[in-house]
Amino acid sequence: MKVPLGWLAEWIPLPDRQTLEERLTVGGLEIEEVIETGPDLSAIRVGEVLERQAHPDADRLSVCRVDLGDGEPLEIVCGAPNVEAGQRVAVATHGVVLPGGLKIKRSKIRGVKSHGMICSEIELGLGEGKDGILVLDPEAPVGAPLSQVLPTGETVLDVEITPNRGDWVSMLGMAREVQTHFGGELTLPPCEPEESDSDAASEIAIQIDDRGGCHRYVGRILRGVKIGPSPEWLQQRLEAAGLRSVNNVVDATNLVMLEFGQPLHAFDLDKLRGGVVTVRAAKDGEKILSLDGEDRELRREDLVIADQQGAIAIAGVMGGAESEVDDTSTNLLLESAHFEPSRVRRTAKRLALRSDASYRFERGVDPAGQDRAADRAARLIQELAGGQVSRGRAVATGEPAPGTETIDLDPTRVNRLLGTSLSADEVAALLARVDIPCDINGDRLRCRPPSWRNDLHLQVDLIEEVARVFGYDCIEPTLQTAPLRSIELAPRRRIREDVRTALAGAGLTEIMTFSGCPPEDDDALRLASDDSRREHVALLNPIQAGDSVLRTHLLPSVLRAVRGNRARQVDRIAVFEVSRVFHGGTDRPDAWQEREPLQAVAAISESGAEDLWSSASVPPFFRAKGFGERMLADLGRTPEFRAGSDEPFLHPGGAGEFFVRGRRVACVGELHPETAAHFEIDAPTAVLVVDLDALDGLGAETPRYQEVSRHPRIRRDLALLVDAGTPAGELLQAVRKKAGASLLSVHLFDRYEGRGVPEGKLSLAFRMIFQRTDRTLTDTEVAEATEKVVQNLAKRFGAELR
Amino acid sequence: MALAETAIGEASSVQALAEVRAGFLGKKGSVSAVLRTIGGLSGEERAAVGQAANQAKERIEAWAAARKRALESADRDREISEYKLDVTLPGHAPPRGHLHPTSQIEREMCAFFAELGYGIEDGPEVETDWNNFSGLNFPEDHPARDLQDTFFVPGGNVLRTHTSNVQIRAMTGRKPPFRFISPGRVYRHDLDGTHYPMFHQIEAVCVDEHVTFADLKGTLFAFARHLFGESTEMRFRAHFFPFTEPSAEIDISWGGRWLEWGGCGMIHPQVLLNCGIDPERYQGFAFGMGIDRTAMIRWDIPNIQLFFDGDVRTAEQF
Repeated sequence: MKVPLGWLAEWIPLPDRQTLEERLTVGGLEIEEVIETGPDLSAIRVGEVLERQAHPDADRLSVCRVDLGDGEPLEIVCGAPNVEAGQRVAVATHGVVLPGGLKIKRSKIRGVKSHGMICSEIELGLGEGKDGILVLDPEAPVGAPLSQVLPTGETVLDVEITPNRGDWVSMLGMAREVQTHFGGELTLPPCEPEESDSDAASEIAIQIDDRGGCHRYVGRILRGVKIGPSPEWLQQRLEAAGLRSVNNVVDATNLVMLEFGQPLHAFDLDKLRGGVVTVRAAKDGEKILSLDGEDRELRREDLVIADQQGAIAIAGVMGGAESEVDDTSTNLLLESAHFEPSRVRRTAKRLALRSDASYRFERGVDPAGQDRAADRAARLIQELAGGQVSRGRAVATGEPAPGTETIDLDPTRVNRLLGTSLSADEVAALLARVDIPCDINGDRLRCRPPSWRNDLHLQVDLIEEVARVFGYDCIEPTLQTAPLRSIELAPRRRIREDVRTALAGAGLTEIMTFSGCPPEDDDALRLASDDSRREHVALLNPIQAGDSVLRTHLLPSVLRAVRGNRARQVDRIAVFEVSRVFHGGTDRPDAWQEREPLQAVAAISESGAEDLWSSASVPPFFRAKGFGERMLADLGRTPEFRAGSDEPFLHPGGAGEFFVRGRRVACVGELHPETAAHFEIDAPTAVLVVDLDALDGLGAETPRYQEVSRHPRIRRDLALLVDAGTPAGELLQAVRKKAGASLLSVHLFDRYEGRGVPEGKLSLAFRMIFQRTDRTLTDTEVAEATEKVVQNLAKRFGAELR
Repeated sequence: MALAETAIGEASSVQALAEVRAGFLGKKGSVSAVLRTIGGLSGEERAAVGQAANQAKERIEAWAAARKRALESADRDREISEYKLDVTLPGHAPPRGHLHPTSQIEREMCAFFAELGYGIEDGPEVETDWNNFSGLNFPEDHPARDLQDTFFVPGGNVLRTHTSNVQIRAMTGRKPPFRFISPGRVYRHDLDGTHYPMFHQIEAVCVDEHVTFADLKGTLFAFARHLFGESTEMRFRAHFFPFTEPSAEIDISWGGRWLEWGGCGMIHPQVLLNCGIDPERYQGFAFGMGIDRTAMIRWDIPNIQLFFDGDVRTAEQF
């Protein structure tokens, strides 16, 4: 809400700006912006016209010598008829930009040099203004910035009103809040109209059919008004508050709404059919043309104001065009009503029609404020548009608005909740500052919140007011010492953090991406039509056109990040994301963890940046596989790797899976070319996909100490020729199986094809380490074991020693 | 002997020394020659000459050994002084990985609360209206619901707009005292220059018979100073949240300004009641703040969108 401070000062004395802003902010009125209205005139200066002479070459121009208080007077050519020597005027010199955007330059006008411009009101952006230049107060100090001598605008605070404080949405509410913090007397604008003899109640009948929807309806009748434009002050005031001027009647109702927070509506009395105005539920399908020119179709739950022919306004939201006040209107019905907040909200929300009125009704207007607002508006219209105000008000009441009840407050409860030590009297004094009178009743305070505080119902509501007025900053901080029962860790938390640690520790960079995705991602992943991952949770109101569902797989987002980084010329890409994915579908399990499984996806895409120290670049697949092995080792899970995977987004010729105790926990592979093409990834890229729930379910193995040997190791290297295409992993398995219990480890240290190796063959070199914990091995034993291995490999794989 | 001493002293390399030594003590050396003549001498003479010769031999050996050590040491010094490794070549380490800034701050936050004895609770991101709104005292048809722009999903569910849904889940059916935090991902239907529809929050909850607003302030002060430094100041601005009362927004002093950091308050009695906790007996506080926002403040990251665009050049700075 916009609060012009000059206006507010008419209601309550204000402290200095900074104190005011600080106190309001801490008290719960967040100041979003401070707006200075009016043009910036700080660069324009006060000058004195020392001399005026006619321009030698132009009848209408004059040449002036103007003193700006800094030495040599300037020569300025001026076209205004009203310029005279001795005047104090507004001068824009060379380089100054006028509020309208015009930049002043030295120039020659019909042969006479002009060093600036003597400005008119229009040129200064001060409204329509009079013809000719602006003539200032003769006392205005020469040379001073114009902004110092000519206040042009207002300071307007744009404050954020929390939804619980409907009573704040008015100048009255702001003034009360200022009074709470700084005291002072409230000054209300005059409200009593001068009434004629005609009796309003006999001129119009108000009837409330929907008694739950409308608590009170007050009508005022005005006759013989003259519609016209509003005076300047009113237009400016509305504009400063963010409203547009329409005509004097509508502006008056809006002004009173801003003053008291009570929305008002003016009907053209002569356009009402029949002498009765009814507040009733709309009929399903009932139509109304609202003031904004839209045809609205209503439903039974909407509340309308109707005459005998049909709806003339959507209650609390917007008036109808048919009964609109226009230039020809002379007789008016002024409405000042109290509608049920939730009804107004529902209708405004459904129609997507939020108005200043509905904003206030939703938050709750003072149920005791209708009469005063109607009176004030009648008086104001009378002042602005003439006419007679009929005597009295036409009033109808529905069920009473849920009012404010007396609340019993236990002062010890205040201290128990806040950690303060306030006495009952102190509490009562603090509440008095927010217009809540209290009687001390035994050890309790009987508190009576005022009618406009629809947010106060419970003890704790009052305690909040006590704290707010006392000042949160005055409560001394302490550290609680509540006893502990046990500390629980959410399920999956540890595995998630362990996987993060392992992958980042292995050298990958973590990314986070949005949980939504386009459904076409499923095709990019080549998911089969019956793949359950095609069953998404849909977003009913997606924010980006593409992201209309929640993702069931992280891979597309990660691949988009890979592409993005490639586009940004990052050449070493090794990224991962750990996140939930979301399973939709109709037969969703009850446990939310099953509907929101945890996944990790890593992608490795490198254009072989070679290091000074290691010349061999590792193909992305083996890096991805290595990250998987390392991660599982870090997690204390011993995996079994199996070649091949049926994941459709992996290259069938370059994929495998990790199993732990028979359960698949991860898959790794190069991207299927179609998937890679879809995400426009043109460099070799491998991915690792980890199922964290599966891992979590398996639990870590607890390591047990294995005796370390004090006996020497014996090393044997084997270089073997095998057919190209022989899986090295199977050879390694065979070595482990056949080398006997003395084998400590075996690893592949070279793989070679090409020169020196026959066509169609492959050289694999293994290093076997033998060692026993109980004794020193003999060469013979090792030779026997090696021989056994060689024979077995020869038999199974046709391997020959090189 | 003086001759020997001089010759040994002048030997300029280990090899030259060996030759000098051989000149005296070798098979053809002068001392050896003397010893060879002993056979032709009388007993007394033999003893005297033999003794002198042996003494000479020992001394020459000692001189030679000392000289050898000196020469070797000089050689080693020379080798050492001539050795020059280009130590400015880059070291070799496996590439460094990076946790996302949000993960790093989240861990720091969790570690802080673990020290204070807080457990960690979790809940779904696709949440029921009750757990995300109604249970937290957001009445239907109340403008409080406009406070958080919401993503809706089928079945009357929403993407959680805050991690406060975990309050309802964790408190329901649990008997105080308890205290826990709930970090996690949340969603708001808001995308512009400074907003992203997804971010991370952490919420802390503490309930017992005498947990006060003063305790809330004390806990927040400790937390803020842990994260932002010991001289951090805080400001509590009155505010409205449906699920706490009194409620406040929290500002921290940063770079000479107040920066909004989070929201807090005493848990609303209706929320306790909704979870089956007697609000006459128990009370507690709750507060929450953005994890990404905390990282932004701490590390001068200007825009939250940088957290979620997948650009490794951001994450790799932290």
